[in-house]
Amino acid sequence: MTVTSDKSSGEAPEVEMVALTIDGLEVSVPKDTLVIRAAEQLGIQIPRFCDHPGLDPVGACRQCLVEVAMPDREGNVKPMPKPQASCTMTVAPGMEVKTQLTSAVADKAQQGVMELLLVNHPLDCPVCDKGGECPLQNQAMSNGRASSRFEDVKRTYPKPINISSQVLLDRERCILCARCTRFSDQVAGDPFIALVERGALQQVGIYEEQPFESYFSGNTVQICPVGALTGAAYRFRSRPFDLVSTASVCEHCASGCSLRVDHRRGKVMRRMALATPEVNEEWNCDKGRWAFTYPMLDDRFELPMVRRDGELVPVSWQEALAVAADGLRATRSAVLVGGRVGREDAYAYGKLARLALGTNDVDFRARPHSAEEERYLAEHVVGSTPETGGVTYADLDTATTVVLVGFEPEEESPIVFLRLRKAYRKAATKVFSIAPLETRGLDKLGGTLLPSAPGTETEVLQALAGDGTSEHMGSDAFAAARTALRDPGAIVLVGERLATVPGALAAAADLARSASGRVAWVPRRAGERGALDAGTLPSLLPGGRLVADQADRSEIAELWQAETELPTTPGRDTAAILESASIGEIGGLVVGGVDVDDIGHADGHEALRRAFVVSLDLRESTVTPFADVVLPVAPHDESEGSFLDWEGRPRPYRAALDTTAMADHRVLSMLADELGVFLGTRSLREVRAEMDALAPRAPQGGRTDDAGDPPSPVSVPSPGPGEMVLATWRTLLDRGTMQDGEPFLAGTAKAPRAVMSPVSAETLSIVPGDLVTVSGGGVRVTVPVHIQPMVDHVVWLPTNSESCDLRALAGQAGAVVTVTKGGAA
Amino acid sequence: MGLEEKLPAGIALTTLENVVGYMRKASIWPATFGLACCAIEMMAVGTPYYDLARFGMERFAATPRQADLMIVAGRVSQKMAPVVRQVYDQMANPKWVISMGVCASSGGMFNNYAIVQGVDHIIPVDIYLPGCPPRPEMLLNAIIELHEQIQSSKLGVNREAAARAAEQAALRATPTEQMAPTHDHESLVGRNLLA
Amino acid sequence: MADESKGGFFSDLFAPVAGFGVTFSTMFRKVATQEYPEVKWPTQPRFHGRHQLNRHPDGLEKCVGCELCAWACPADAIMVEGESNDDEAGLRFSPGERYGRIYQINYLRCIFCGLCIEACPTRALTMTNEYELADNNRADLIFTKEQLLAPVQQGMLPAPHPMVEGMEERDYYQGKVTQATPEQQAWVEHHHADHADGPARNEDDVEARS
Repeated sequence: MTVTSDKSSGEAPEVEMVALTIDGLEVSVPKDTLVIRAAEQLGIQIPRFCDHPGLDPVGACRQCLVEVAMPDREGNVKPMPKPQASCTMTVAPGMEVKTQLTSAVADKAQQGVMELLLVNHPLDCPVCDKGGECPLQNQAMSNGRASSRFEDVKRTYPKPINISSQVLLDRERCILCARCTRFSDQVAGDPFIALVERGALQQVGIYEEQPFESYFSGNTVQICPVGALTGAAYRFRSRPFDLVSTASVCEHCASGCSLRVDHRRGKVMRRMALATPEVNEEWNCDKGRWAFTYPMLDDRFELPMVRRDGELVPVSWQEALAVAADGLRATRSAVLVGGRVGREDAYAYGKLARLALGTNDVDFRARPHSAEEERYLAEHVVGSTPETGGVTYADLDTATTVVLVGFEPEEESPIVFLRLRKAYRKAATKVFSIAPLETRGLDKLGGTLLPSAPGTETEVLQALAGDGTSEHMGSDAFAAARTALRDPGAIVLVGERLATVPGALAAAADLARSASGRVAWVPRRAGERGALDAGTLPSLLPGGRLVADQADRSEIAELWQAETELPTTPGRDTAAILESASIGEIGGLVVGGVDVDDIGHADGHEALRRAFVVSLDLRESTVTPFADVVLPVAPHDESEGSFLDWEGRPRPYRAALDTTAMADHRVLSMLADELGVFLGTRSLREVRAEMDALAPRAPQGGRTDDAGDPPSPVSVPSPGPGEMVLATWRTLLDRGTMQDGEPFLAGTAKAPRAVMSPVSAETLSIVPGDLVTVSGGGVRVTVPVHIQPMVDHVVWLPTNSESCDLRALAGQAGAVVTVTKGGAA
Repeated sequence: MGLEEKLPAGIALTTLENVVGYMRKASIWPATFGLACCAIEMMAVGTPYYDLARFGMERFAATPRQADLMIVAGRVSQKMAPVVRQVYDQMANPKWVISMGVCASSGGMFNNYAIVQGVDHIIPVDIYLPGCPPRPEMLLNAIIELHEQIQSSKLGVNREAAARAAEQAALRATPTEQMAPTHDHESLVGRNLLA
Repeated sequence: MADESKGGFFSDLFAPVAGFGVTFSTMFRKVATQEYPEVKWPTQPRFHGRHQLNRHPDGLEKCVGCELCAWACPADAIMVEGESNDDEAGLRFSPGERYGRIYQINYLRCIFCGLCIEACPTRALTMTNEYELADNNRADLIFTKEQLLAPVQQGMLPAPHPMVEGMEERDYYQGKVTQATPEQQAWVEHHHADHADGPARNEDDVEARS
């Protein structure tokens, strides 16, 4: 963080400063600063409602009136005839501002505005969720009259009304500051709410046919300065004054948002975005805000269990650990870790595999993956941090061109999406997306689609980087992209989905190199980047050390004080582990936080059925039916640790709840003890000390011995009649187990639909709204169809939405599916 | 049938437990254990206006060996805790404890490191008396409650059986923190307390 | 001593027992001792006794579950959790949007200071003069909502039941509701027929729902 700020101050051109006087105090601020911000620098708080640093000024509430005097052309300071709104007025040299502290006029103006705002505001603070943390309440106390002169009947509305399943609107409380509408319009790009009607009846409204289905709607609840917008899940659950807040970090994606977790009496009541300028600014997505109920469900594990006569029975920790250790000792074992775990936990999994199980068979990628991806991660991603020149959020703000490959930011990393939208609005960043269809998310970024069927991304990337002779060059979009890429400073964002496209990751890196730009890998899950740097990969040791490198190996062995040499042969990846386990080559599996169906591997279930499975999990999962030993671990809110966000920036979090649940690293330490190995991961401090002892290493391309097989020529499957190529990715809100137990949030998930081009639809004689059945690879789903311009003979479906589970097919880029009209009979 | 029918008039039968309970409850001597403000109200109970002697509690015994009832009146600081326990240990059996006032009962408003959060962490308590401080009538009420408890207490094997049953019941009971937020207290439901 | 006067015959005679005179004369005075528990003298009306959760004249609860009492409590003795009134599910306990689903006062923490009474915005919580609270275990001294709720008086119907037809929340506070209406009566009879022991037991339904 220090490095980025140094960089920005070093590079920033000299800013012009303006000197003015506020309440008799002189202050010098950069040109174009708003008066209200200049006052803040002096510690003068001017009351305000509509003003928000993240939104454009609007001057809607008039609460921030101050007395302003300006020098005229001769230099005589002349007062303006009326008080001015300080939130819309920029500073000018010689300006003299008098706030409510020194000016009776400003004070009276503010009290008058407050009185008017309160005319129709119901004084229902006792039943209002905002009561106790309400800017209107606070400022009415500090800048309002002590008593009301209003004697009439207040305007009332029936209340509350749902503007989406998760946001409730109390219209009579609204003071029309337009923060919510401005946020939705400017920041999120989802202008589904607007101020309608006029005068006293003006109110926030939604369009009839389009509910307020934005992934960022929760922010409007947070920035509402009164209790007009409230969250349905938190409604009447608690009062702010008996909540205990803990600063934390979101566990739902690799964006790494800062969160405030509010709990009371051992139960998390709500989560809110916490301002972190370098990462999420002041926003977060609805999933991060509301999907926190999953550890509170009934299927949470409380005690360790072992399988006896086919049934899991609760036992003591000693017994469960002994059974687990016996089972693992008896056979060759491997470790599978999910993207849920924090960096320290992932480190412990890797260390357990290498020290206690004597194998490099450990992989954090519980999703479609490839050996090529592993090589790419080891060469280009591990060790990349803001300090070592990795791409950061701040870089996105100022990038000239951003190319998205295999990555749909709004669905897969929402804060990256918000930053790209900000860049598009403020810095006119050009966004190009290599994808089969133009999504609404791309539309909101003002982006251009570089159409490509699934599996052909490599070809498109190569064409962009190449000499311009490719067949793609005909289209305007490609021409525009090539022109844009001529400016230095382009950023290529690749998603984890690209792993399954042969050669695509390398092609993306090549493109970035040829455009003298940079490339960043944006995984979907919060723990993946941390797990990568913690060495939870077959060919990688912690800190980017290589298994294949003798010096690296001995460095780690020394750090771990290993008695025997660390395993030398690079291990198997997730797919190979499952394959080996399904044929009995691997007899034991330590599985932590993996949904086996997410891997999309055909052998998944067979492997778990056959192997001795030790499952570290918090709730019943798809692994549990196969588990021989279940060790309960602490969920995110009850454990301490850190994630690395996609930039490689450490995002430490603390335990919001103080429970007896143990974090993975501690459970693994006990398991290793039982196996007769001292793992040294009992406390977080031990783990962090070890991790910090490794000197950071920036990514070094070409470190791995062989460059791998040259990417096999891309074979675009040619769909036969009635067949189409499947394009799929997950939507932000889907059937993920970490969104369980939150019906209000699930209510705003996008309904699954099949998207295809008019040409494709015509071949099947489908009209919009028809049902289509998509089948292939043992999967069969029936969803309504949506027709829009996109790559022909490609059908897009969400990977894991309600009644639309295509995870078995997602691992295969360009899988061919059969599409038939009508429901599955 | 039985003995009762053959008895001459004017003789009534009862159980030994009843007689012993009756005797015991009518002659309890409290130990002075005033620790804070509640002690002032406890002293008031000894004045003629409230007259503790009416209940056979003729005097406050300054020596624990001659006391049967410890009225812990006031907050118990961590430093005082061993003293409380020692005084309790020095009392002769049978002995009873009234925890007078909220500070003695649960720590009251002093939810901090210095105060024992309820004297029942140190000694067994028979009657808890809310109030801050409880007015003398409340203490008298607590003493009468205690009398009822003493009257119905068991002796010998019955006592052991009762203790065992109580222990089993306590083990089976729902921990307070797991109790439903609403549960029934039949005695007070629906009583008009303003009338 | 020189000035020691020689008393008369009678004073000499009674000197040894003169002290008993006080005792003797006191025997004819009115007894000062309060005969508690046989005679319970009324407390001062302002005496801070056990709390009571009041009802509106039609029997709906005044408590809106705002938790201000819990906030005001210096001893942290009060626990409140709010919930939405739900007319469709037949779970309306108070006029307006919100009611107190859980209301507990721990009488082994409560110091009867009355700050909760001052904090209550709806006059739902008041104090009675009841003071006989001693009990033999701690759990029973945590009083729950059923115990704290005021009894159903003449003209009231126990909650839950709908608000008076045509009345708004504010009408309740302006005293426009004086008693339960026949419609409310009919509603209660229809809905609580199978609840033999009174509709207050609907708390359990609320628990199950949440």
